[in-house]
Amino acid sequence: MSSQTTLRTGLDVAIRDVGVRFGAPGAGVEALAGCDLEIDGGSFTVIIGPNGCGKSTLLRLIAGLLVPTSGRVTVDGGVPRPGDGRVGLAFQQPRLIPWRSTLDNVALPLELAGVAPAERGARASEALDRVGLHDAAALRPRELSGGMAQRAALARALIGDPPVLLLDEPFSALDALTRETFDEELQHLWLERPRTVILVTHSVSEAVTLADRVVVMTPRPGRMARSVQIDLPRPRPTELIGDRRAAELAAEVRASLSASRALELRPWSEQEGAA
Amino acid sequence: MRRVGTAALSLLAFGVAWKLVTVIGDYPEFILPAPEVVAERAWRAIGSGILGEHTAVTLLEIVLGFAVGATTAVAIGTALGKSVLIERVLSPYIVAAQAIPILALAPLLDIWFGGGLLARVAICALIVFFPIAISTMVGIRSTDPLLAEMLRSLGATDPQRTRLLEIPSALPVIFGGLRVGVTLAVIGAVVAEWAGASVGLGVLINIANQGLFDTPLMFVALATLAIIGLTFYGLVVLVERRLISQ
Repeated sequence: MSSQTTLRTGLDVAIRDVGVRFGAPGAGVEALAGCDLEIDGGSFTVIIGPNGCGKSTLLRLIAGLLVPTSGRVTVDGGVPRPGDGRVGLAFQQPRLIPWRSTLDNVALPLELAGVAPAERGARASEALDRVGLHDAAALRPRELSGGMAQRAALARALIGDPPVLLLDEPFSALDALTRETFDEELQHLWLERPRTVILVTHSVSEAVTLADRVVVMTPRPGRMARSVQIDLPRPRPTELIGDRRAAELAAEVRASLSASRALELRPWSEQEGAA
Repeated sequence: MRRVGTAALSLLAFGVAWKLVTVIGDYPEFILPAPEVVAERAWRAIGSGILGEHTAVTLLEIVLGFAVGATTAVAIGTALGKSVLIERVLSPYIVAAQAIPILALAPLLDIWFGGGLLARVAICALIVFFPIAISTMVGIRSTDPLLAEMLRSLGATDPQRTRLLEIPSALPVIFGGLRVGVTLAVIGAVVAEWAGASVGLGVLINIANQGLFDTPLMFVALATLAIIGLTFYGLVVLVERRLISQ
């Protein structure tokens, strides 16, 4: 991150030889095995891979929602704990509380932390401004469009100004145009205030547009297959189609992805790591 | 206003039908008195203060019994909903207590609780308890697991989760139980009075029915109970609308 002159505000995230198994030993499902990933503080990492490769599981580990069966996950050298204020998480669904206004939904993390009502109201409307939801403060979640709800969820994840932001395919349910706007805004938010961002996605173009580094995962059990550095200058436009270097990088990511998909399609018995 | 009009119209139709039955059947007054006879008897009962005296006692029993029963039911229902262990341990007793007829249990409770207001409140609370506890349990269990995980990711403590997510999302179901419970509170108060009391609408029914053979007065007491039940039910619905503004 030598090109970054701003203060490094993100924390390092390390995943070392991590395995996750759901269900009974020997009979359960192996979601992750032998996962290794070092993420520099303040960097933007995109994790990409087919369905069922354990991408969401990986984010849950970093958020402290899940304890690995083996190995070690650390944020800034320590074991992550939910609510310790170091990690913000936005899920695939907005997960807003239906009977609360948008403002009160966004203020929820502060409310849980015991911040006084006046202060959390002020900070929540500031957070809403940042994601362009200024006018939606009083609305209930059912009155929001899918895009607005996802913005509110992003505002909620950002309100505590966490040094690490985890995004679990938050834009996957949005239409392509809305999604591009989102990507642009997300990049802008990050450039404005760099923090460690880990975004999970299915979209190669999204990955190349946003990431410092794209990590490709293979499925069953999930592990890191490849890491592609995206050395394009910032700020990047959301339409990178014309850019030759971007096209090369996208092709590289795509090639790693199809390699991992080919692995998925190969008979189970021939797969590496199959018992 | 239209709703009030509809209700008034339906009441009028009921009165007319009642009058017709008494005219066609030509029943003696101690079997089925005509509406105007009951109205006249009510007027006298109000004037002499006898209706007010008995109603006040029954109202107090209903309010206290419902308050005690509903509060314990929501608290225990929440515990039942949150912990499978607590449910396994407690639910057989709760179901058994509900399955035993309250009429049989009331005299016993009357002795245990000393026969006064406390005993009647206890009997009333017991009958109110079951539907509210069960609906609370079911409501708590139906909490959206995705929202629960979201709260967990924000580091919410267990009491915070209960207060901010589980109870509010259970509210519509809890109010279903409260609606049933509040009408049962009226029954509970009367049953409690039958088990041993000297004032109250239940007592008034007994006096009118068995002591005085004053069937119109019995109808007055029954109508008062019906009005009390309707009023409290309406209040519960009103609070429900207030709290669940979606």
